Amino acid sequence: MIKNNKDTVIKTADITKVYRLGNIKVNALRGANLEIRRGEFVAVMGPSGSGKSTLMNIIGCLDIPTSGQYYLNNMDISKLNDSQLAGIRNKEVGFVFQTFNLLSRSNVYGNVELPMIYSAERVRNKKKKILDAIESVGLTAWIKHRSNELSGGEKQRVAIARALVNQPSIILADEPTGNLDSVTGEEIMAIFQKLNSQGKTIILVTHELDIARHTHRIIYLRDGIIHGQEEVKNQISAEEKLRQMPRLEDKLTAN
Amino acid sequence: MRRLLENIKIAFQALFLNKLRSLLTMLGIIIGVGSVVAMFSIGAGAQQSVLGSIQDMGSNLIIITPGNPEEENYMGAQLAFGTQQAELTIDDLRAIEREATLITDVAPVIFSSSVASYLNKSTQSTVFASTEDGREIYNMKIDKGNFYSRSDVSNALNVAVIGQTVVKSLFGKTDPIGKIIKLDGKNFKVIGTLEARGTDALGNDQDSSISIPVTTAQDKLYGLDSYNMIMAQSVSEKDIDAASEEIKSILRRHRNIRFGEKEDFMVQNQTQILDMVNTVTGIFTVVIAGIASISLLVGGIGIMNIMLVSVTERTREIGIRKAIGAKNRDILIQFLVESIVLSITGGILGILFAVSVSAILSRFTILVTSITVFPIIIALSFSTVIGLFFGIFPAMRAARLNPIDALRYE
Repeated sequence: MIKNNKDTVIKTADITKVYRLGNIKVNALRGANLEIRRGEFVAVMGPSGSGKSTLMNIIGCLDIPTSGQYYLNNMDISKLNDSQLAGIRNKEVGFVFQTFNLLSRSNVYGNVELPMIYSAERVRNKKKKILDAIESVGLTAWIKHRSNELSGGEKQRVAIARALVNQPSIILADEPTGNLDSVTGEEIMAIFQKLNSQGKTIILVTHELDIARHTHRIIYLRDGIIHGQEEVKNQISAEEKLRQMPRLEDKLTAN
Repeated sequence: MRRLLENIKIAFQALFLNKLRSLLTMLGIIIGVGSVVAMFSIGAGAQQSVLGSIQDMGSNLIIITPGNPEEENYMGAQLAFGTQQAELTIDDLRAIEREATLITDVAPVIFSSSVASYLNKSTQSTVFASTEDGREIYNMKIDKGNFYSRSDVSNALNVAVIGQTVVKSLFGKTDPIGKIIKLDGKNFKVIGTLEARGTDALGNDQDSSISIPVTTAQDKLYGLDSYNMIMAQSVSEKDIDAASEEIKSILRRHRNIRFGEKEDFMVQNQTQILDMVNTVTGIFTVVIAGIASISLLVGGIGIMNIMLVSVTERTREIGIRKAIGAKNRDILIQFLVESIVLSITGGILGILFAVSVSAILSRFTILVTSITVFPIIIALSFSTVIGLFFGIFPAMRAARLNPIDALRYE
């Protein structure tokens, strides 16, 4: 019996995923149950091969489960076709990837605009929404720059702005700090924390405990099932941590 | 609409990114479309000038020539001039004059090529020998002096009426009237000049002609009893076919051709000649269309090849777009628009190329060209169809990519 709560944004019920690799069946997920409430900041952790990626693909509506139900925003996603899934991804999910995945030839504005191009309905105040999203990640000055001219941290900010622009129900960040140095990674985490404090629901996939401890709750995944979860006590504040970190500028002025 | 514009923008961005590659890919289409339009313009120009010069020859014209193209040795007879079995003689001319009721004028013609000279200057000219009626039928207009008269013809006088090119090359600014020129060594008195007519359909200078009485040509120049052809003029345009049939039956009877036997002469009129010209240009058009469609096919395969490369290269981009909410249809349209933009741009460049080529041709050569809207529309729609046809397979391949795999593609 699945109870749908108004506050529940994600609910999975016994979802399994079976892949076929030639003649071998791979049980990537073996009945994962999970519930995420609106406004939560959740980390999903697990070793490689734990089914982490598969779970993320299903939560992100890139894939559907072999069996079980997945409710996103109280909609049953499990039985949708490709085209319907694309529509849900566009409207309800904002992706942030480890490798940024920007269109290298487009500028910042063009990249952030991209989800709106594929919106089913005509977007009102399109330009203002794009500019607001770019401002919220602090890239207003870079708006005309092509994304391949940006640093890693800047690219990830563009990706976050792109994830925000259609006001999705969830932001799904897959190892967003994996390709960044620790200071830049911390800056990105600060942005996520700020967005979460403004009410955004964020799901973060990571294998670094330090990064996971920026969130409210950590879900552990192993062998295709949810192995356990814990509330994070003493949540790390990225802002605070950044203040304590030695900065290059300080070193330069000190000498 | 909004998305289509977006797709066209994306397509141009992608094509500009690989300028050289796009240009080389378009080359097949540029050459294909360019050659269709250029050849059509040359064909249309030729057709117009052929029709123009046929109409110049005088309306209601009927031409009777010896020999029959349906006979085996027709070409041989034509080539071995003077030895052909069938000849048109004064008897045939008289028979037509006497019996035909549907014609106003009839005149014999001998064509030849001779060197004309005056003092120390000489020029190659076309001798057009006929009677005073021939001027009317052939629609020749006098510039200065007179055309030869009936009595000049019956007395076989050595008089000549010369075209403007002959005037220019032999006399320059001197008045040619009354001067004596030499034609194949014989003296001829210039009694008139003809108005300029320009070149005919095949680029021959019609003003390099020298008109002399047919009798003079037969007796004093070539020693001939026969004519190259007989020209007649029907009373009206609608009687032209009836007049042709009448002449045919007169000559059959007169030449003792029995029922069921083939004629040893040919009667053609303007309508038939126009039909023939249209048939020839029609064949020309079909041949060109064939050649052009081969080059367009090759161009289209080039487009398909490059689009397949492009889809592979941009697998990750496709993955990103799909993750963000692009449906299969969106990706399909994106790549289809790209290949259509590629082929239409090629088509437009091809048309510009053809227009400049035909402008250059008509300016610097004797070829007459005429750019018409029809081949341009055909070429443009053809290149659109090429883009669509050869773009659909790569675009479908792009659209079917799985976003998860595409995002992982390196």
